[in-house]
Amino acid sequence: MGTSAEPHSLVLGLLFLSMPAMGSCSDKYPELLGQLQKQADFMQHTNTLLDLYIRSQGLDKNGLKEHCRERPGAFPSKDALQRLSRRVFLRTLDTTLGQVLLRLAALEQDIPKAQDLEMLSGVKLNIRGFKNNIHCMAQLLPGSSETTEPTPTSPGASPSPTPTLDTFQRRLEGCRFLHGYHRFMRSVGQVFREWGKSLSRSRRHSPHQGLLKGARRMQLSGRNKRLMPRVQLAPGSHRGAPGG
Amino acid sequence: MSISHEFTCFSLHQSLFLLPAFSAKFLSEPLPWAPESLKVSINSTHQCLHLQWSVHNLAYHQELKMVFQIEISRIKTSNVIWVENYSTTVKGNQLLHWSWESQLPLECAKHFIRMRSAVDDATTPEQRFWSNWSSWEEVDVQNSLGHEPLFVFPKDKLVEEGSNVTICYVSRSQQNNISCYLEGVRMQGQQLDPNVSMFNLHNVAFIRETGTNIYCKVDRGDDIKGIVLFVSKILEEPKDFSCETRDFQTLSCTWDPGRDTGLLKQLPQSYTLFESFSGKKTLCKHKGWCNWQVAPESQEMYNFTLTAENYLRKRSVHILFNLTHRVHPMAPFNVLFKDVSVTNATMTWKVHSTGNYYTLLCQVELYGEGKVIQKHNVSVKVNGELVLSGLEPDTEYSAQVRCANANHFWKWSEWTRQNFTTVEAAPSEAPDVWRNVKSVQGYCVVTLFWKPLSRLQANGEILFYNIVVEDLDRPSGLQLLSVPAPANRTELTLDQRAYQIHVTANNSVGTSPASVLVVSGDPGDEEVEEERVKGTEDGFSLSWKPQPGNITGYIVEWCDRPRDPLCDLQWKHLGPNTTSTVISSDAFRPGVRYNFRIYGISTEMVPYLLEKKTGYSQELAPSDNPRVVMSNLTSHSFTLSWKDYSTESQPSFIRGYHVYLKSKAGQCHPGSEKAVLSDDSVCCKYKIDDPKQKMFVVGNLQPESFYEFLVTPYSAVGEGPHGAFTKVTTPDEYSPMLIRIILPMIFCILLIMILCYLKSQWMKEKCYPDIPDPYKSSVLSLIKSKENPRLTIMNIKDCVPDTIEVVNKHEGTGKSPTEPEAAKPTYLYLLPAEESYSGPGPCICFENFTYNQAASDSASCGHVPVPTKAPSQLGLLTSSENLLTALEKNCMNSLEEIPAGESSLNYVSQVASPVSGDKSSLPTNPPQPELCSEYKMQMAIPLGLAAPSSSGSSSLSSITLLDEGEHYH
Repeated sequence: MGTSAEPHSLVLGLLFLSMPAMGSCSDKYPELLGQLQKQADFMQHTNTLLDLYIRSQGLDKNGLKEHCRERPGAFPSKDALQRLSRRVFLRTLDTTLGQVLLRLAALEQDIPKAQDLEMLSGVKLNIRGFKNNIHCMAQLLPGSSETTEPTPTSPGASPSPTPTLDTFQRRLEGCRFLHGYHRFMRSVGQVFREWGKSLSRSRRHSPHQGLLKGARRMQLSGRNKRLMPRVQLAPGSHRGAPGG
Repeated sequence: MSISHEFTCFSLHQSLFLLPAFSAKFLSEPLPWAPESLKVSINSTHQCLHLQWSVHNLAYHQELKMVFQIEISRIKTSNVIWVENYSTTVKGNQLLHWSWESQLPLECAKHFIRMRSAVDDATTPEQRFWSNWSSWEEVDVQNSLGHEPLFVFPKDKLVEEGSNVTICYVSRSQQNNISCYLEGVRMQGQQLDPNVSMFNLHNVAFIRETGTNIYCKVDRGDDIKGIVLFVSKILEEPKDFSCETRDFQTLSCTWDPGRDTGLLKQLPQSYTLFESFSGKKTLCKHKGWCNWQVAPESQEMYNFTLTAENYLRKRSVHILFNLTHRVHPMAPFNVLFKDVSVTNATMTWKVHSTGNYYTLLCQVELYGEGKVIQKHNVSVKVNGELVLSGLEPDTEYSAQVRCANANHFWKWSEWTRQNFTTVEAAPSEAPDVWRNVKSVQGYCVVTLFWKPLSRLQANGEILFYNIVVEDLDRPSGLQLLSVPAPANRTELTLDQRAYQIHVTANNSVGTSPASVLVVSGDPGDEEVEEERVKGTEDGFSLSWKPQPGNITGYIVEWCDRPRDPLCDLQWKHLGPNTTSTVISSDAFRPGVRYNFRIYGISTEMVPYLLEKKTGYSQELAPSDNPRVVMSNLTSHSFTLSWKDYSTESQPSFIRGYHVYLKSKAGQCHPGSEKAVLSDDSVCCKYKIDDPKQKMFVVGNLQPESFYEFLVTPYSAVGEGPHGAFTKVTTPDEYSPMLIRIILPMIFCILLIMILCYLKSQWMKEKCYPDIPDPYKSSVLSLIKSKENPRLTIMNIKDCVPDTIEVVNKHEGTGKSPTEPEAAKPTYLYLLPAEESYSGPGPCICFENFTYNQAASDSASCGHVPVPTKAPSQLGLLTSSENLLTALEKNCMNSLEEIPAGESSLNYVSQVASPVSGDKSSLPTNPPQPELCSEYKMQMAIPLGLAAPSSSGSSSLSSITLLDEGEHYH
């Protein structure tokens, strides 16, 4: 990010303060976007987490597995995600995944097998890596006054459901949560894919300016629907930040 | 539900002091010590009812042994499911407690509890005077469940496998049709009331570590409720529990905990070690072992109790032992070897002090080449020492030692191992040497081979081999050659004299005895006949005739890889009394012919060939068929030959050949037999028993017949492959004869044609020249000689041209010059000076177009119409022959006289016979000259020379005879 964007980077730094910086970020927007898209595509597969959970908890029985469905509102819907500006989208994504990590830590208690725990650890590592990339992507976005934009709440993504739940209910809730997580990641992947499409469209028109336009259009379209505060792109703030 | 399964959660046992007078006093009135203040609480997790009460009017200092009868009803008070007498000693103002665990989850039904009391007289229990029943205490947990439509109980229950468990559900709506499942399998329940059903599970099994899922759901709805039943495997009793000490300071106790319960998270288990003599107890940190500090006051006897425990079960095992009998010494240390020589070494080691100077028994094992070669037992106090003898030089050994308590054997210590190597000695054996002798350009090329000494023979690392070549004719002539190890061969070039060769192996300590071999100029190998031997899987069994005279031994020589240029020469030394041996080698392969040579070694160490053997370790059927050449094909026979087929390189001894012949007739002639091939085809088989016979004549064939043949070798193990047959068709009987006639004829004709071609010019000149030479004409000579010797040949000088033929050339027409129009001549008549010329005058010679097909119709001399008066003028020519002769002569002469540069005037032979019948086609008017016309000189024959024709109708078409004032064309 250029020097003119330092105030914005400060804001973003505060936004992602809790995120450990895992090395330096790539300043190549398409590369980072592709990476995020691939990660989201990978994490949407239920065999990375949900299948393991269902199997270990014995939920793979007729009459039971049908109830392992995402609770509405547990995670932001695809439409809701698409309506968000890029900045808010990233922030929502980061927050939600942070909650997912907490919830996974709680679910870990119910997984006795070391092999399954190892797999779960791998999933957590993936999520942390994904969060780091979100952080890097946020750094590439030009700063704006959108920091006041509220993060959509995800009530189901709290670290753990009510502690009074018995094991069976907790188990079922965990399953539903993971189902929602995979669906959420699929939606995230689709949003990133749309980012990529707008990037390629922009390139066709103007290699650099097009990105800004595409990003601005995304923001505006979201703004139009949700009446978000107006985004102001500072002159030069797009230096090294192709989207926003 | 079984009532008998329900039991009290715990009981309080207290002593009770009965007062006999007290009993008598209150017999007639209600017992004053009735239970009061009965309170009931529940523990849903453990499905327990806790009762708490006090005893009415019991003085503070009083103690009374009482019995309380407790009744529990379910659903309604009249449905008593449990009655229990609880005896205890009651003190004044004491709150009493009693618990009862329900088999049915308490949430599933209302429970009612009441009790009464009596003074407990153990001697006459039947005469108890019970107090009045307390009022029923109702326990209704359902009221506190909340408003959810469905509940399933008990939650998260922990049971051992094999237990019986009761499940129930509570529905808020009677209209709901509810189904319950155990791991997806529907359960059949029993309805307790319209909203509650229960399910008895018998002998529950362990399914997974995360528990068994039991759930109920409304048939038409999304609501699902369930429980997880944690079924644990039964905690096993620890096995192989034992304790031992290695240093008299710590006792190490170990055991086998057995299988896991499977619920380590929900049902952790603990192991406790209790020693009864000291009364000490320790909670073990590990599942399978625990350390115990030995008491410093020299406690010898120990009585341990190991208790394994979890929430559901407790298991204990005991051992009693004397500490000194459970000593497991530590491994010896500081194992050293000193005074290591060629054959001996002294081994020393130390043992850990036990503090009481117990005698240890130590065991020493000596390993050589991975095997135990010596075992020793040594009693040791502190330091051990042992002399190892009988060792080999330059050999690495490994010795290990372990110790145990000599007085009360318990366990051996671990082994402590150490390696050592004895020192080197000079090689003890002479190297095993053999040679291969070749004669090259008058010299002996001797290749010496030797086998490396075995480790036992070498006594150290062989550094080099010394080779001393001694000329036996000149004892002073010595040659020394040193070959560094690990070479195993060297080559010497010697002359034809006899040499004695000494080979020694040397290590860092010394030299081995010498191996002696004499090499003479003449190997003498060729005169021995080769015998065949039959090999087996175990090798070749060879035997030979004992040799008279002094023999120091025999050597059998062979090649492991006879097909390779470096055949890997092998040899075997045998004693002088040995006349047979078995040669075996891992390199022997089936189908490979091995050649063995047996040499006798004389006392002078001169080897001489005794016998040659050859054989196969296993014969294989021939793999290749010979390449057969067919010759001498006649209508009745043909010859087959396979001269280049080598029997030596075959995978078995070839015994002969089979010649298969297929024919349509299928008849086999004498000398052959019918054979059926693998493809069920029938053919005739000729057998050749001599492998050296490599030619065969197939006879008795039919002419013009189709045959197929195959030649395949056979050996003792079979014949070669039945590959493709070669096809042949016999010719007919007469063809050869015809060929004998026709071929020479064709040859002759061809020869003649070639000669004709080569001599065509000569022939042409001789037989049909373009311009006949009248001088050479035999006709003329004949005329000359016989009829008119004055006749002579017309001279060109005598000819006066009177007509010029103009040949029109049509340029640019694109037509072929051979077309009539292109070559149509135009005649220009040259008239004589005298108008009335009637005498003999020059003749006119025309171009002869006989050989020009295109122009023959218009330009030929023969086309010139003959004038009506011409016969009179041509009377000089008495005959056509005369005229021809005259013309030829004249024209030839005129041609010869034309300079080369004037070749545009064509003179053509006049001998072509005129074409009769074409006269009418002659042009009536002379053509007009055109540009680019060629002029051809036409020769006029002087009339004097032109003999008059005897016939007016003579066909002198090539002659134009001109009359006065008339032009004929």
